[in-house]
Amino acid sequence: MSTLIEAKGLSKSYGNHQALKSVDFTVERGRIVGLVGPNGAGKTTILKAILGLTSYQGDLTVLGMNPERQRHQIMQKVSFIADVAVLPRWLKVSDALEFVTDVHPNFKLDRAKYFLSKTNIPMGAKVKELSKGMVAQLHLALVMSIEAELLVLDEPTLGLDILFRKEFYNQLLTEFFNEGRSILVTTHQIEEIENLLTDLIFIRDGNIVLDATMEEVASDYIEVMVSKDDAEKAEALNPVMQRDVFGRRVYLYQGVSRELLEPLGELHSPSVADLFVAKMKEGK
Amino acid sequence: MNSFKALLKREYWESKGSMFYAPASIAAFFAIVMIVGAITGPTVVEHNGHSVNVLEQLPNVVDEFNNIDEEKRDKAVQMGLYAPRVMFGFVMFVISLFYCLGSLYDERKDKSILFWKSLPVSDTATVLSKFVAVILLIPALYFGVVAIFQVFLLLFGTVVAWFGGSSGVTIWASSNLFGVLFNSLFSLIVASLWMAPLWAWLMLASSWAKKVAFLWGTLPIFLIAIAEGWIFHSSNFIEMVGKRIVLGFTTMNSDMHYLVGAEMFEESFVSHWYEVFAKGEFWVGIVVAAVFLVGAIYTRRFRDES
Repeated sequence: MSTLIEAKGLSKSYGNHQALKSVDFTVERGRIVGLVGPNGAGKTTILKAILGLTSYQGDLTVLGMNPERQRHQIMQKVSFIADVAVLPRWLKVSDALEFVTDVHPNFKLDRAKYFLSKTNIPMGAKVKELSKGMVAQLHLALVMSIEAELLVLDEPTLGLDILFRKEFYNQLLTEFFNEGRSILVTTHQIEEIENLLTDLIFIRDGNIVLDATMEEVASDYIEVMVSKDDAEKAEALNPVMQRDVFGRRVYLYQGVSRELLEPLGELHSPSVADLFVAKMKEGK
Repeated sequence: MNSFKALLKREYWESKGSMFYAPASIAAFFAIVMIVGAITGPTVVEHNGHSVNVLEQLPNVVDEFNNIDEEKRDKAVQMGLYAPRVMFGFVMFVISLFYCLGSLYDERKDKSILFWKSLPVSDTATVLSKFVAVILLIPALYFGVVAIFQVFLLLFGTVVAWFGGSSGVTIWASSNLFGVLFNSLFSLIVASLWMAPLWAWLMLASSWAKKVAFLWGTLPIFLIAIAEGWIFHSSNFIEMVGKRIVLGFTTMNSDMHYLVGAEMFEESFVSHWYEVFAKGEFWVGIVVAAVFLVGAIYTRRFRDES
């Protein structure tokens, strides 16, 4: 397995505000990494640094190249979707295909035509005549037809309805993702993608607060539903977080053995959303 | 090279309206006005208190035209062919101005820059493609329209000659059509090249502006002019800018100036478009344009949109 992205001491400041405070992380080939954090935590800054869209301090290599200096070489092997609204409104669908074919050495026109044939998008239409969902389908069709090693998605399904969102990720998994490729995705709708992620990175105030595989998360974090009578026993084991659900209490533990927890009640793996809330509140 | 061609095509797709439909509709409008005017126009006009029947007089006019001195006739026909270019050249100037102001601003305004930047195209190639669009693509498209209009004028003149009982051959013989076409094409391109520092400056402003690219493009020019007047009590800067524009137009129409052989424009500069290459100011302009372009490339490359 090879490393696609390696960041060491990656930092970025906007004036006095430090958006990234010397973060380290790697993205290996064949992984789907969710980069999760509240607004302003530094997610987009990380993505921009990877894509060579912003300057930064520290070491960052993407596919062995320097994104600040070799942006357009990197983009031959990296694709990204930033938001559904970025396709220019005046662009005609057939012209979009022609343009990407001409400028992208790794674009497969036949694939794009195949993807589009499964949609209702007319070749002669301009982007401004398409619905939001269709624009996203078009963008996805273009991007999935690029033989990229890394796909970066920044809130790719923002503003789309649930059917499109499900279909979007479904298509990515079945038609694009394989062992030779990685996907790095940020989204607020984390519950919709947690089943496809292989890795999780949480970021808060410019720091990485969690960086683990989903297996590690599952073995490290355990949720126990405890009746109120056992609350004292449960709190003695130092839960990371607690919340009330229908008159019972749910405790989240990190690194506490299952043997100790089993007597308290039923054990679950926490959802990524619950883990996220816990991690964002930790120490506050 | 393939991708550079694609970039130029992209510019055309985006600005088809101003690059092609605008001059084409102007040409079509004038052609229709001329044809409709010729068909429905009055056949009898008042001239010095006498009624003159146009159709009856036409043979005399055509005859007179066929019998004038060949040199004079050549000049008259060629001037007639060059004349519409003055108007198309002016439209082209205005269109180019707004094209440059939008060139690196619109893509940021509609956020499509993130899509363009997701493709393996360097900022240098992108910015240069927009510069080449204003230097070559726009003049070439305007030339195409001008050329068709020039041919239309000759055909129109031929039909008029037929009604006057002549074959119209003299018009074509006097037109030097290929020379006129050749000069029309290169005059438009070279005039645009002469104004390169202006275009490049507007592109730099366009890459820089957060809002209202128009103000970023124009205000600094006026501020410098005002500051110069205030500090040095002189107006060299604004005169230089004005001269750049005026000489651009005289260069574009230099062959007309040459035909007339008189001071058609107050500022006589060159009598053929290619003489511009011998002018030092031309090359200074190219260097200044290059500096602005590097600035625009750098700004597009490192500007952080957030």
